[in-house]
Amino acid sequence: MDTNRLIASMTANADPVRRLPSPWVRTAAWFAMAIPYVAVIVMMMVPRDDLAAKLTDFRFLVEQIAALCTAIGAAVAAFQSIVPGYDRRFLLLPLVPLSVWLASVGQGCIEAWLRGGAFQDFTSDFLCIPAIALVGTLPAVAMALMLRKGAPLWPHTSAALGGLAAAGLGNFGLRLFHGQDASLMVLVWQIGTVFMLTILCGWAGRLFLDWRPVLARVRRNLAAR
Amino acid sequence: MLAAQAGDMRAYERLLREIAPKLRQMVRKRRQFFTAEEVEDLVQEILLSIHAVRATYDPNRPFMPWLSTIAHNRLVDSARRFYRGKSNEVQMDELPVTFADDWTNTENEEYRDPEELTIAIKSLPEGQRKAIEMLKLREMSLKEAAAASGTSIGALKISIHRAVLNLRKALNKE
Repeated sequence: MDTNRLIASMTANADPVRRLPSPWVRTAAWFAMAIPYVAVIVMMMVPRDDLAAKLTDFRFLVEQIAALCTAIGAAVAAFQSIVPGYDRRFLLLPLVPLSVWLASVGQGCIEAWLRGGAFQDFTSDFLCIPAIALVGTLPAVAMALMLRKGAPLWPHTSAALGGLAAAGLGNFGLRLFHGQDASLMVLVWQIGTVFMLTILCGWAGRLFLDWRPVLARVRRNLAAR
Repeated sequence: MLAAQAGDMRAYERLLREIAPKLRQMVRKRRQFFTAEEVEDLVQEILLSIHAVRATYDPNRPFMPWLSTIAHNRLVDSARRFYRGKSNEVQMDELPVTFADDWTNTENEEYRDPEELTIAIKSLPEGQRKAIEMLKLREMSLKEAAAASGTSIGALKISIHRAVLNLRKALNKE
């Protein structure tokens, strides 16, 4: 088709479009949707007995806040990654809280190692994987649906950031009902699961973020008119 | 773009017509090895992409970075497709259908002298000559030729086979 004819057909019946809100507003909307779900799951799984005591534990608080900020930072970055024109350095936003999170857990591991008990408490805890996945399911689905409304510029990056946001939130919820605080266990089973889910989501990015179906839909609409 | 988002068709058309030459220039510059058709295809794809994601434009942010990010992204995608296509292609010379030796190329041999061929056909035994005339010269089907000559299809096949062998022998001998 001639380009001029294509332009004419695109503009002939161009409907008004609802502008996509800013990434921060979308993050707030996603968070508002995800938090009640996480709360419901935590209530269903029964919050841990020592939760009140844990809320005064500095390391626990730092790690929980860092996990939450990682989720929020990753969500903002994911929503920015689907809007053309933003500086790509914004994609590194979740690295700040993530490094705080890792530093806190890492410090715990070193302290335990110096005490000589780092590996004594280490056991296999595969429950973390489905538990984090369960808490992160709805946030992940909501994230995927919201990301599809933008431009699929970097599908793997956007999906990985979305996955990190959902898994980070999943880990935040997990620690409210799962009494596992040994730093090495947290590092391997919890943060390991978060990274694994992030990589999986990134790998699956092109399955739901791709130009081809987007353009196919546009072509179908143009042909139907 | 702001007007286009609000559904102003004229403003939208003006905008697309204004950016199309710029996109064409950008594509030509970055993909110098593309043919004119490929350039136009890519320009159209970028325009369709812009149309598809026009809701992502934020009027509080500058338009050009928004546009160039989409254009650059589609250019990278096209390069990826191009190289992926190239890597799946196997470059090879045009191979002959058969081996180069003459005896394998019997189907493609040319009758160098039509008159010589006519004489050779006339010198064939009657059955073979009729078979050649009906099946090869008049291009009748085996069924039609069998009905016309009153012989069986099998006999006709044998006649044509022998006739071709005799003709080849006669033409190559001389």
